[in-house]
Amino acid sequence: MSSAPNLSAAVRGVLRRAVETFRDEPETEQWLRTHLERLDEPLRVAIAGKVKAGKSTLLNALVGEQIAPTDAGECTRVVTWYRDGYSPKITLYSRDGVPTTVPVKRADGALEIDLQGNRAPDLERLVIDWPSQHLRVTTLIDTPGIASTSAETSQRTVSFLTPEDDAPAEADAVIYLMRHLHAADAQFLESFRDQGVARAASVNTIAVLSRADEVGAGRLDALISARFIARRYQAHPTLRGLCQNVVAVAGLLGQTGRTLRRSEFLALVELARAPRDELDALLLSADRLCNAETAMAPTIVDAVPAEARRSLLARFGLFGIRLSTTLIRQGIDTPGALAEELVRRSGLAELREVLETQFTERRDLLKARSGLLALERVLRRDTEVDTRALEAEVERILASAHEFVELRTLTALRSGSVPIRADDGVELERLLGGTGDSAAVRLGLDGDADADKLRQATLETLVRWQRRAESPLAGRAETEVYRIAVRSCEGLLDALGQ
Amino acid sequence: MAPPTVVKVVDLALETIARYDRADLTSRLRQTRTRLLDGRVRVLVIGEFKQGKSQLVNALVNASVCPVDDDIATSVPTVVRHGEKPKAALVRVSDSDGTTADLDDAALERRTERVEVPIEKLVDHVSEAGNPGNREKVTWAEVEVPRALLAGGLELVDTPGVGGLSSVHGSTTMATLPSADAVLLVSDASQEYTGPELEFLRQAGRVCPNVACVLTKTDLYPEWRRIAELDRKHLAAAGIEAELIAVSSMLRWHAIQKKDRALNVESGFPNLIRYLRDRVSGRADEIMRRSASHDVLSVTEQLGSSLRTEQIAQQNPERIQDLIKELQEAQARANALKERSARWQQTLNDGVADLNADIDYDLRDRMREIARRAEEEIDIGGDPNKMWDQFSAWVEQEAAAAASSTFVWATQRARFLATQVADHFAADGNKVLPALRTDPAGLMNVVDGVDITESEKWGPGEKVLTGLRGGYIGVLMFGLLGTFIGMSIINPFSVVAGLVLGGKAISDEKKRQASKRQNEAKMATRRYIDDVTFQVSKDARDMLRRVQRGLRDHFTGEAEEMNQSLRESLQSAEKSMKTSTSDRERRLSEIKAELERLAALEKRVRTLLSAPPPEAVA
Repeated sequence: MSSAPNLSAAVRGVLRRAVETFRDEPETEQWLRTHLERLDEPLRVAIAGKVKAGKSTLLNALVGEQIAPTDAGECTRVVTWYRDGYSPKITLYSRDGVPTTVPVKRADGALEIDLQGNRAPDLERLVIDWPSQHLRVTTLIDTPGIASTSAETSQRTVSFLTPEDDAPAEADAVIYLMRHLHAADAQFLESFRDQGVARAASVNTIAVLSRADEVGAGRLDALISARFIARRYQAHPTLRGLCQNVVAVAGLLGQTGRTLRRSEFLALVELARAPRDELDALLLSADRLCNAETAMAPTIVDAVPAEARRSLLARFGLFGIRLSTTLIRQGIDTPGALAEELVRRSGLAELREVLETQFTERRDLLKARSGLLALERVLRRDTEVDTRALEAEVERILASAHEFVELRTLTALRSGSVPIRADDGVELERLLGGTGDSAAVRLGLDGDADADKLRQATLETLVRWQRRAESPLAGRAETEVYRIAVRSCEGLLDALGQ
Repeated sequence: MAPPTVVKVVDLALETIARYDRADLTSRLRQTRTRLLDGRVRVLVIGEFKQGKSQLVNALVNASVCPVDDDIATSVPTVVRHGEKPKAALVRVSDSDGTTADLDDAALERRTERVEVPIEKLVDHVSEAGNPGNREKVTWAEVEVPRALLAGGLELVDTPGVGGLSSVHGSTTMATLPSADAVLLVSDASQEYTGPELEFLRQAGRVCPNVACVLTKTDLYPEWRRIAELDRKHLAAAGIEAELIAVSSMLRWHAIQKKDRALNVESGFPNLIRYLRDRVSGRADEIMRRSASHDVLSVTEQLGSSLRTEQIAQQNPERIQDLIKELQEAQARANALKERSARWQQTLNDGVADLNADIDYDLRDRMREIARRAEEEIDIGGDPNKMWDQFSAWVEQEAAAAASSTFVWATQRARFLATQVADHFAADGNKVLPALRTDPAGLMNVVDGVDITESEKWGPGEKVLTGLRGGYIGVLMFGLLGTFIGMSIINPFSVVAGLVLGGKAISDEKKRQASKRQNEAKMATRRYIDDVTFQVSKDARDMLRRVQRGLRDHFTGEAEEMNQSLRESLQSAEKSMKTSTSDRERRLSEIKAELERLAALEKRVRTLLSAPPPEAVA
């Protein structure tokens, strides 16, 4: 949207002015400078959720490589940053900010992170540089699980994402994983939301119903079931105001789909070829699959050794194996085709789409917001420096930047505090950028609509909402919303005109 | 229900004492018999949301009695027990004045409404989907199925896991712990125990005789053994003594359908069933055995002593006057035991008064802390309108947790008090009966009768409390839940079209309004906490009152029996003064025969007491 660069420019400007203003307070100046630099960095997306929700697996699925370590027991204990880099590098940062480089070792695919004798609580963070397409656009932050048995471990994530002293969070946006809606999840999301500027952080949170294959106890229709549940959560009053989308994802399937090995495919083919009742008996439980004796499934035990079966289980999960063998039996005959199908069904594609529209397209807005939050904090402190001009500027940006107005309106619409008819509400949310930032999405048109068509549609929409705004029947609150919609249309026209 | 041998012994005892015309003793044994036949062993199945509780219960009883679905949550507790024919009922206990705590069993019955529903339709009433937020106000659901597992009186209770163990629901479920004979914490094999789960186990261990951890869904997770290992470590580290049993309900269902024994073993269910039969039922049976034995022995005790007194009188007619004097003194002591001034009564009354005060203080203390933190939150939180839902949920949760902690602690202390009272009664009771024991192997020893303290946890006080469990506590079980679900902080803020539209975002006007709202929020919170404190302390006081009444009635009853026995002894002593020598001889041989009969009965009971529990069939 056109004013986004303007917004960025405005925020950049005010931050630069702030750095100038605080030149006599070196600490503050440095802090502001860091935030100024942050504006140009990739978007920072934190992955949070309860213990064993599948965060590291999802991260691997997004990056397309098995780098974050995953394990049966509680695994991630230190906040770990994954960012793009020329070559792989692992750096430990202790509490007092001292960095230590650690050799990069991979075991069985996953990174082996040697904490060098440091205990997790002594480390402030880990930073892993890794050359990756995905990380070029987004820096991913893997966090320790919330509600871990060690309250201290969870506290670290909570402090990281919702720092106590009103400092802006280190992350610009959050992907929150949950296996089913739980009081603790909603509480956590709520606390991440209350973060100053625009108070509309629902726009920077996506919820993921993770480990979706387990939702249905590993039944073949598990993912379909999970998708229904995700849709239901999306409309749930508790979640509606806290996050915009709920996507069901089977992270393991996604991770393995993106990193499928030929040997694995061949092993699956062997399984699929075996007599049906043998396979079914074996797939009744994980134990059976791994430890079956020859008597139970002679063909399979012969064709696929126990070690191979065990590693298949670790990579695919019971559901994944059931699904893959079914797909192969139905005709999928190349590793590429299987991988594609697995990734598609896992919900990963849908998640990436949502990430694209919610986060990446809004990058400038989210960055600007973080920057303003940082500045707000400084301004709120007592200081001898004269900050009136800065405060005025910040107020002006907040008030006039249409992006923020849109954000606030979206929250109000979603939380139901404005009495708008349901179908109006859907259209308005879309128009205000609720489902995506591009003009086509806002107008509800196809992505390939040409400029003329877009302009036409925008004009029609503008006129329509203008009429609604002028109608004497509309209440005050609704009229405001309609006017904002009109303004959005004007902004679109501006952008299209260029 | 106790094993048949125990009931037989009680029947035999009833037969034996029929001739003695002691209505009081007969009625006591009749009550024992009823308790034996009705005895229920309650197993609570508790766990976080979606851990497989309902599947577990269904798989145990091989019937789809609890609703299961990928999405559905159980919102109403369901009790599954044995019945000749399968049937289901919804139970509503109306509490028009807010509490059911001070009602006796009869009144409770009147308030209870039982509506039968077809088993297939049960899901419509007990799940979140069919009965969201329990708007139908069902207190609990009952299902009866004819199953061998349940035939001995075992009942399984599927509890709502909604919101998790740390929610309001979870806290009130915790308050039901004291009423259970066993608790199964259900957690699936996808991850180790969380903080709330361990905390729950800690609490449970304090008030429940049997706590076991069930690890579910082992079919789905290849790493389940590791998780079990990790869990065992967590348990050991926390000092929690609980058995861990790994199962897969899915495999069990398959095994049942295919009638496959090997698969059944794989499912792990035989271990669970063994645990329920041996440990849980076994222990409960044990307690009932001892309790019944105590009753029978106590009765034969008294009859025996009467007879022996008469025997002595008949054998030594010259000593009768002395004997009569001793008996009269004993009677005076027995009377004193009934008086308010008796030591046990004082212990009881003082104890209850102290406990009332302590509980009150404890509760208020906890609530005050919550109120203080709440106000702090409101102060730093800015405009309370924006975070009201989250905030009020937090307060409600904290209040529920505090209330259930208080309840659990109160129950522990009440139990301790009961043991103290029992001890004092026993000690004083000892001194009542005169030292007339000419029969050293005699079973006149009151100490033996009352003080069967082989098992530390069981004593006469425990027995009384066990008896109390059934009626009232069955209802309290879910009453606390009702209290909290019915009570919530009233939202003082009407829905506001809260569009912050440009301009002076944080103007002075807004600031003033915000602080006004802060005050409203604080007042609403204070009011809520006061209401909760009032209600919960009333419930606690009512519970204590019932305990007090129960204990008092029980021991007064025993004292009265003693009294009656002494009266009879006195009468027969006086009568014997007038008997002729030949009658005396006849009477003495009669007494000898009766004493032998009583001795035989006592021997049976003693054998019963020392017999190891019967080997359970796997």
